[in-house]
Amino acid sequence: MRTADRDRQANSPPASTGDDERSQPDRAETSNDVEGREGWLGPVRASSLTKQIRRARARMRKAETGADTGEEKAPRPRRKRASGRLPDAAALRAGFDAWFDARGWRVFDFQRDVWAHAEAGRSGLLHATTGAGKTWAAWGAALLRASLHARDTDTASLRVLWITPMRALAQDTARALTEPLAALGIDWEVGIRTGDTSSADRARQRTRLPDALVTTPESLSLLLSYPDARERLSGVAAIVVDEWHELLGNKRGVQAQLALARLRRWNPGLVVWGLSATLGDLPHALDVLVPTHATPASGPSPVIVRGEIAKPVVIDSLLPASAERFPWAGHLGLNMLGPVIAELEQSRSTLVFTNTRAQSEQWYQALLAARPDWAGLIALHHGSLDGELREWVERGLKEGSLLAVVCTSSLDLGVDFLPVERVLQIGSPKGVARLLQRAGRSGHAPGRVSRVTCVPAQGLELLEAAAARRAALAGHIEARHSPRAPLDVLVQHLVTIALGGGFRDQDLLAEVRSSHAYRELGDEDWQWALSFVVYGGAALGAYPEYHRVVVDADGEHAGIHRVADDGIARRHRLSIGTITADSAMTVSFLGGSRLGTVEESFIARLKPGDFFLFGGRLLELVRVRDMTAYVRAARANRPAVPRWQGGRMPLSSELAQSVLDLLDEVADGRDAEPETRLLRPLLDLQARWSALPGSDRFLVETLQSREGHHAFFFAFAGRQAHTGMAALFAWRIARQTPRTFSMSFNDYGFELLSDAPVDWHAAFAAGLLDTDALEADILASLNAGELARRKFREIARVAGLVFQGFPGAMKVARQLQASSGLLFDVFTRYDPDNRLLRQAQEEALAQELDMDRLRHAMQALQQRRLDIRATHHATPFAFPLMIERLRERLSTEKLADRVARMVTALEKAADRR
Amino acid sequence: MNDAQAGSPSVAGFAMGSATDTAITVAGETLVLLPERAAWWPRARTLLVADVHLGKSATFRRHGLPVPAGSTDENLGRLDACLQRYPARRLLCLGDLTHAAAGHTDRLLARLAAWRGQHPGLAIELVRGNHDRHAGVPATLQLQVHDDVLAEPPFLFCHDLHEPQLRAPQLHAPLLRDPAPTRDGYRLAGHVHPGVLLEAHGDKLRLPCFLFGEREGLLPAFGAFTGLHVVSPGNGDACYPVTPERVFGPLPVQGVRP
Repeated sequence: MRTADRDRQANSPPASTGDDERSQPDRAETSNDVEGREGWLGPVRASSLTKQIRRARARMRKAETGADTGEEKAPRPRRKRASGRLPDAAALRAGFDAWFDARGWRVFDFQRDVWAHAEAGRSGLLHATTGAGKTWAAWGAALLRASLHARDTDTASLRVLWITPMRALAQDTARALTEPLAALGIDWEVGIRTGDTSSADRARQRTRLPDALVTTPESLSLLLSYPDARERLSGVAAIVVDEWHELLGNKRGVQAQLALARLRRWNPGLVVWGLSATLGDLPHALDVLVPTHATPASGPSPVIVRGEIAKPVVIDSLLPASAERFPWAGHLGLNMLGPVIAELEQSRSTLVFTNTRAQSEQWYQALLAARPDWAGLIALHHGSLDGELREWVERGLKEGSLLAVVCTSSLDLGVDFLPVERVLQIGSPKGVARLLQRAGRSGHAPGRVSRVTCVPAQGLELLEAAAARRAALAGHIEARHSPRAPLDVLVQHLVTIALGGGFRDQDLLAEVRSSHAYRELGDEDWQWALSFVVYGGAALGAYPEYHRVVVDADGEHAGIHRVADDGIARRHRLSIGTITADSAMTVSFLGGSRLGTVEESFIARLKPGDFFLFGGRLLELVRVRDMTAYVRAARANRPAVPRWQGGRMPLSSELAQSVLDLLDEVADGRDAEPETRLLRPLLDLQARWSALPGSDRFLVETLQSREGHHAFFFAFAGRQAHTGMAALFAWRIARQTPRTFSMSFNDYGFELLSDAPVDWHAAFAAGLLDTDALEADILASLNAGELARRKFREIARVAGLVFQGFPGAMKVARQLQASSGLLFDVFTRYDPDNRLLRQAQEEALAQELDMDRLRHAMQALQQRRLDIRATHHATPFAFPLMIERLRERLSTEKLADRVARMVTALEKAADRR
Repeated sequence: MNDAQAGSPSVAGFAMGSATDTAITVAGETLVLLPERAAWWPRARTLLVADVHLGKSATFRRHGLPVPAGSTDENLGRLDACLQRYPARRLLCLGDLTHAAAGHTDRLLARLAAWRGQHPGLAIELVRGNHDRHAGVPATLQLQVHDDVLAEPPFLFCHDLHEPQLRAPQLHAPLLRDPAPTRDGYRLAGHVHPGVLLEAHGDKLRLPCFLFGEREGLLPAFGAFTGLHVVSPGNGDACYPVTPERVFGPLPVQGVRP
């Protein structure tokens, strides 16, 4: 009997960007590995060995002293220094001019604009591509603002907060911010506070905060959880939120919104600047950062500034000699290996982006196999690899010693790698913003352009590359929207603020509502969240043993909500944050050397003796013990494919629309793009056998085969929405005549297969596309309970229902272990009206099925001409959907054989007809 | 299946109670598996349960984790349902009767005392589990505690199959594949909270289960607020998934995927 899988969810999809690779985000400061104490801005990077020793020491220290919660511990003596006074605004401006001059730069107009706005007390959003000088615009603005805003007390030393979504970026950011200070005559200390900050530095910050602090949303919330937070933070004059687009659309951003609302209340003159990559719906992005509903009408209104140097971006495609007529993505694009190698040879340094970790592993392997002489010159970078390895790769990129790095979105963000000349994108970029972001990773050296070259994993992806280029030129870029009033984040915030000096009911409600996400927070939801933290549920006083937040009954503090229990306080501080990762398992050689981490659920699917690719090596699983997967290098040359989920971003609406527009042109006989010229044979065949999908028609193909009656729907709404739409169609049909369907989905459409024919004309006439009872029908058609159960994982953690434990308190932690799935069941049974359950269902609909997009897509389809075509063969657009369905059933080799046979048969048919 | 075989539901003259129960033979003894996640041992007139974890939700609440109440009532209600169907002389718990000392709230103790009062003739015995060791045993239940193992041939009742005193020197042998137990007898244990993952046609279901191998068997966790540990039965293991309505099985081993 082999053990697997302790009660937990398999691979729940990543939080909200749909992208699990980004950043090594901050799980508050709970992480029990204290990164090397490079600490206070130390420009010296400890050597690997000394770092390891330091780490080990830090761990031991932690194990001895218990959890590190940032409580005071033997603070270092305070640094003796001047009071950190700033020159006046005119001197600062002159100083910046001189400093720019000295480096041969010139101050751009947009930078001056931002400075002037900030000086006038105006907040705003600055958007531009990377490397355009956003940092200096914002840093100058913050310093100018701080120079006007007088310092009150010595304890309120902190003047500027710099919020970054990635703690890995904090070090480099702080270093950059320090650079001009000496030239400007500013004796300021720029500190760092992230989950990596050592306990000694934290203790020092408890005594005295630096003048400027680079931090993450999680660590900022943690700062708010200390009783003297107001005293220490109300001197903040300016806040810069870096990479705002990364936070805007998710719960980490909501956490930042709540912190900003609080700081704004303490200092109504607070100036906030967001820095963002190019993004759709910038006014919304600005309003989330600086909500107008909370800005006094008399005050200066916030502005959007655009970085004006339009850095030229080239988007092109690596064209295969010819495009297959029956596109299939199963080979992960490796048929383009030769051309890719030729491209890599031509550039000094190239980033090769893939969409999944599995794909990056395979590409790295394939490149090495083809060019063994590149060992040491090419590298692999993805979110599962060990931090030190990733740092080594990043250093190689900065120094220009690497010819190519195969990576995932783990390298989407971060400091600039000057030597990178080219970016290759393997497979579909899925979105315009994402492709632009990746393009922006190249061409930072003076006089160079950013260039991204799309490498199609299958023919139709050529279409997406051309469509992305069109959309980028036209400025059709995806927007990101703030979540609306997530109760789990609110529950966490209530406890945080109860710790951070306490609160009165109505005061905090007004403050919370001044944030964008909660501006429409209902009284009932507020009351529910409040009683949840005070009473443990809606029932008043039901649980005498529950004392998370207590309310003072009388005296001058009557009505103040606060946390009285030290244990609860400690555990809460350790749990601050909104990021939930699948529990990670260390991958280690039998001898002990560590390779990285991988989701426990992935390892749970393997048996000892199974092979998998990881970190660029073929490994054999030997055994699993104590959250470590012990492996040895695999000898036999048995194929193995790591099957990580995730990375399955849906095609964005903007890109989908651009693809349809391009198809319209092709249908008109125009071939403006090299990609469409190459795709001509495929597209002609599609038009001959059926029709081309287009922006004015809703193409449906029916086909009868030995498998049964197929129907292919080309709705172009992205994979997630198609999942919901397919289930909905099947359910609505089956409601009339009981019937079983097999389904498959991709970004262009979906397939329903049944053993009896369906009269689709009649079905559409009978309201297949109705959106009236959409939500109810979707819930009925899917196992919505299971989806919600999966979503509850994140909610339970954020709302503080699940405690993940910490070193030094193992005993308590073990008593408090319960999986979110178990909690979901317990709540469903004993507290079915709990609003967190409802939130789980709403998030499941919104995030797993993309409910908004589904509704819009169905409404748009109603307006289009329904074009139902009976075909005799699977068309080039239908073929990938058939394969997608087979993929579920067959092993890889068998699938490949079968696909090869199908392609041969279809090619014959295509040549005949 | 070797020792464990599905038997007929007419055992030793006792009423079978319900068609939902499943009588099997283990180590030559009849055991009746109940959908309440308990087992009835007719010859000894003993009701067997494991891992009740009384007071678990109160433990969570005491530490500031807002878990709703209701599981204690459900636990006791299910015990009552079993005791009504079968004329038990004794309730034997294979460890982890309670969860943690912090969960022994006044309310829980009062509730347990009242329940105990309704079953004056019932002997309650506990083979101490890891949680009992830390939590202590509420005196109000008036039970007899066995420290590690209770030998009642052919059974050897214990909490954790991997307890050192039960284990041969070869450490880390896989679960239920421990070749040389140091004491004779068919070992019945809890601790694992065994569950099984059923998959068919893209549908997945995880259910608690009874699991019987050649020399040892596992009971599902009885408690309402307990998780599952998914196990993969091997050849010769008989696995009986449990739903609140009935006991299924034994499963064909190939029908189970890890």
